[in-house]
Amino acid sequence: MHIDTERRTKVRNYIIESTFDDVEKIKDDTLIFEEGILDSMGLLFLIEFLQEEFNLTTNDEELVVENFQSINNILTFIESKTP
Amino acid sequence: MTTARKPFSKDILHLENIDTVCNDIISKLKNDVARKLQRRGAVIGISGGIDSSVCMALSAKAFGPNKVTAIMLPEQDSSDDSRLLAEKLATKFNVTDTIVEDITKALDGFGCYQRRDDAISRVITSFDPTVDKAKIEIKQSAASHLPPAFSVTVIKPNGEIISKLLPVKEYLQIVASTNFKQRSRMSMLYYHAERLHYAVIGTPNKHEVEQGFFVKYGDGGADIMPIGHLYKTQVYQLAHHLGVPQEIIDRTPTTDTYTAEQTQENFFYQMPFEEMDLIWYGWEHQYPADEVAKVMGKTTEDIENIYKNFERKRKTTEYLRMRPIF
Repeated sequence: MHIDTERRTKVRNYIIESTFDDVEKIKDDTLIFEEGILDSMGLLFLIEFLQEEFNLTTNDEELVVENFQSINNILTFIESKTP
Repeated sequence: MTTARKPFSKDILHLENIDTVCNDIISKLKNDVARKLQRRGAVIGISGGIDSSVCMALSAKAFGPNKVTAIMLPEQDSSDDSRLLAEKLATKFNVTDTIVEDITKALDGFGCYQRRDDAISRVITSFDPTVDKAKIEIKQSAASHLPPAFSVTVIKPNGEIISKLLPVKEYLQIVASTNFKQRSRMSMLYYHAERLHYAVIGTPNKHEVEQGFFVKYGDGGADIMPIGHLYKTQVYQLAHHLGVPQEIIDRTPTTDTYTAEQTQENFFYQMPFEEMDLIWYGWEHQYPADEVAKVMGKTTEDIENIYKNFERKRKTTEYLRMRPIF
């Protein structure tokens, strides 16, 4: 499986499993915070997931909507942090 | 017939009829405690903060000072000012039944400090709780599009500041352990309330109740909350009207929970009370963001983001306000 697809599947599955949400409801460009799919604790658990799954540490200054607002944005963030 | 809504302004929350507002709260307190709760007086925890001071002043007026027991509940991290101000307040309103209950040993027994410090040390390994001060805070602006995330800040004796974003496990452990403080205080307040057949007066204001800035079964555990419907600036108005000592009015509201000094603004609210009250009112009463933005000197986008932040806070803290489900 292509590395991008594999990461995308992992992130998508994580969000679906942690929110018990309908698979159909969460698209790659769904605004997950704007639409209330994840809340503030959801953000903290998502950061933990990225650390555990991709060994990716998030810093204070990276806590911006551009890095987390959708699965697409999260994937771009992971890519930017992965050598 | 429809009544035209007042245009949004900076004075919109100003209480014109402050005497009536106070008298209504006092009458309600008397009726609720005597008739609904069937208790003969009030127990209140006083911290030297503005909210508990106003609640104590209202209680003293409602029940008479001899039917109010004021309890100071310091622990090892409390500021010395808190106790001095609380004593001054009790004197001012002639409440003579004042009790100091130091809860440090109880908290030590629960492992409150150890559990909190262990979590901080996992994030900042150089943290030495015997000499360093620590606090947790939100660094994002309230106008951010993302929900808030907490950072832990350690201040070394030489003034060096180390701050790191808190991983979720450590954040939850720090909150869970420090919540022993509010829950121990609640237990002690109910001990005295039951001993005297009194009611426990809760001190949260409207923001604390609605944004969830309280501990479930901690400071949220009370029989009656006389200022739970008042904005913070209105609480200050009442404080002036009731004659709360000026030092208490002038003091910056703190959490009095962590070893480093920490205002409620940088711990939770992310903006000054004066702004928050007005914007919350605008949001609650569905004033358009552009109308509020003009008055507040902010951009419409900022106000829209702050509205979203409020909505998120109220939604994510619903759990705290829920009764047990059965």
